[in-house]
Amino acid sequence: MAPGRKGRIARRTAVIVAVVALSLWMEIAGFQATPVEDRPEVSYTTLHAIVPLVFAACAGVAWRISPTRVPPRLMVAFVVLWIPQSIYYVIGGIDWLWPIVRGVDLWWAVIAGILVMVYPKGYLGDRFDRWIAGIALVASLVNLLGVVLLAGPQDVGCDCVSPNPYQVADAPALFSLIDNGYRVVGGALALVIAARLLVRWVRASVPARTVAFLMPLALFVWAVTLAAQVVTYATASTADTVLATVSLIAMASIPVSFDAGVAHARNMRARVADLMRITREGADRGLWAESLARTLRDASVRVYWWDEERGRYADAAGTPIEPADANPRGSHSILPVASPLGAPIALIRHDRVLTDNMRLLDGVSSALRLSVDNGRLRSEIERTLEQVRQSRQRIVEAGVEARRRIERDLHDGAQQHLVSLGMRLRLAANTARDTDEVQLATELEGTITMLNMALRELRELAHGIHPSLLSSGGLALAVPELAGRCPVPVEVDVQAEGRLPELIESTAYFVLAEALANVAKHSGASRAWVRAHVVDDELQLVVRDNGAGGASLEAGTGMLGIGDRVDAVGGTLELESPPGAGTTLTMRIPLGAPLEP
Amino acid sequence: MDDARPLRVAIADDALLLREGIAKVLEGGGIDVVASVGTGDELLEVVRGGGIDAAVLDIRMPPTYRDEGITALEAMRAEGSTIGVLLLSMYATPEYALRVMQAGSGTGYLLKERVSEPQTLVRAVETVASGGSVVDPEVVEQLVKRTRADDPLSRLTERERSVLELMAQGYSNGGIAQTLFLGLKTVETHVRSILQKLDLEESPEHHRRVLAVLTLLGER
Repeated sequence: MAPGRKGRIARRTAVIVAVVALSLWMEIAGFQATPVEDRPEVSYTTLHAIVPLVFAACAGVAWRISPTRVPPRLMVAFVVLWIPQSIYYVIGGIDWLWPIVRGVDLWWAVIAGILVMVYPKGYLGDRFDRWIAGIALVASLVNLLGVVLLAGPQDVGCDCVSPNPYQVADAPALFSLIDNGYRVVGGALALVIAARLLVRWVRASVPARTVAFLMPLALFVWAVTLAAQVVTYATASTADTVLATVSLIAMASIPVSFDAGVAHARNMRARVADLMRITREGADRGLWAESLARTLRDASVRVYWWDEERGRYADAAGTPIEPADANPRGSHSILPVASPLGAPIALIRHDRVLTDNMRLLDGVSSALRLSVDNGRLRSEIERTLEQVRQSRQRIVEAGVEARRRIERDLHDGAQQHLVSLGMRLRLAANTARDTDEVQLATELEGTITMLNMALRELRELAHGIHPSLLSSGGLALAVPELAGRCPVPVEVDVQAEGRLPELIESTAYFVLAEALANVAKHSGASRAWVRAHVVDDELQLVVRDNGAGGASLEAGTGMLGIGDRVDAVGGTLELESPPGAGTTLTMRIPLGAPLEP
Repeated sequence: MDDARPLRVAIADDALLLREGIAKVLEGGGIDVVASVGTGDELLEVVRGGGIDAAVLDIRMPPTYRDEGITALEAMRAEGSTIGVLLLSMYATPEYALRVMQAGSGTGYLLKERVSEPQTLVRAVETVASGGSVVDPEVVEQLVKRTRADDPLSRLTERERSVLELMAQGYSNGGIAQTLFLGLKTVETHVRSILQKLDLEESPEHHRRVLAVLTLLGER
């Protein structure tokens, strides 16, 4: 969606430019409107002006990398709400505006707190965080209402504002209570969030700690300075410049640490993705364990694989797991990985701190499960396929052998007997003729004729079952003979040095027989060509005709049977049959024993 | 061939039943069966012993049951024996018939079932013993039936085709004349015409003519 994406980027850029312009205007206009004797130091003002700029820049980055759109929006809101106190010199005369601004001029702190809480997922993860956010929002609304309805010109730091048109009562005590109470509640919440973040950080895994330390630190520093400010504000109504400076720097570091942390997490996910990729490529176990250690940034990671035969866990080298490792205490934890059906796959021994990073470990165990399942499935399929191949070849071989045996049984048995029977009948007929038993002789001669017809049929049958010429002469003799039987004139070209393996000869013979039968039956061709060449390590058979074409491998059992036979000896079949342009059937049969068990 | 003395023949077939039957048929035709064996190698021994005019042998015999009979024939010819050799086969295989003819004169190839036609068998033995050639009519029939594009046989007349088939079976001009009830001169005219039309050379040796005709039929 290039246009949509472009539009989005343009829109976001416009928003950032707008809020930055507003922020700069507030700082500059406020500074200029402030009487010279009341102006804060330029360096402080500059620093104060830089904070929203940092937020705006981080919003741009967060829009690209943050898991949700909440953090960048919060950052943008922060820029707008970062209102300098000097602004009242500018808007003090606008009586409908200044009370509202006065009511929201601390909301940036609420925004910052929520931003910290949505780290790193981009939304409020648990109920506790949502409660805190809720309390902060309610307090802010109450404060806004209180300020708008109760604030008087004396409640603004300068002596420059007109009366508050919304003021319903002049109650300085109540206003002070609300104003200070809001700051106290805010400071307390900030401390709670900071403490919570600190605890989480201390318990976090090594990799998470290394980058994300800035965030809780910044928040903590800010919360402490805020608390200090609250105290000084409540007591003296003036802020300490040093404290304020530290507070500003801490505030500016919050969005930076947010972006850095998210970027790091993305990087981590990318490494889990790498692990998945290695898994998919079927890397060996040693390499996998290495990749895992790299992914987790934990060199002490050990992977112990379940050994089904021995009923124990062992590492990639086959060394069984130490009992101490199986039930570790102290610095390490064990992550058992099992298949969806509960069969054990492996144990991963890792640094205990990683336990907190459950998403990462989940990813790791998924990758491992996938790897093992893949491997298991693959080997199972390969094994089954190999079995099927072998049994198919055995069946085909048995079929060839059976055909040969039947032909030989016919040749040595029934045919032999019928031939000698014919001979005996002839002798009997001759005797009958010699003794002038003409009727008997005629009868016997008729029987001999019938017998010879039967013999002829039997001969054709036996030949069809297994041509004896193939056994003795191979393809070089049998194929021309076969072609000679085809009603369509066939040009034969056989180049096969010596004899080929019996299974291959008989396969070739019978596929050629079927192909020629197809030519005779379906093609309507007037000419056909048969080529049988041994090229390198394969027998290439080509049957071509000048018939109607349009044959397909699916239609009719003829092609299917040819395909099956060729398949069974590991060969390939190619059919080229454009309508009206003849048919070319090319078969390639490997000569080497391709299916050695 | 010495008319005073009956032909002396050796038989080789692994089927005892047929061996005995063939012997009976031949003896009924006035032929002396002097040896009866079960393999080609044994027959070779007998032939080497001498005193044999012709051999009748099965093509498929132990040990491989493939083409032992033809191999034995080729061995005999290689050893210089010129006795008549008649091969019997359960199948009419033109490729085998050609191989038999290629072994030289005095050879024949017949279907086994011809044993129920004593005269055919006896005449075939006599023919090969006297240096003639015999090819089973079914072999010729198969060859003639083979379909070929641009068939040279289409140039022959019906009568010439009949003559050609008999030529391929090994009949002499006289035999052809007798079989077709034609005059010898007429047959000779037909033969000349056939050879000319098929672009074949007249050969002084009878079996060469058979071989040439068979080869033509097989290769056309």
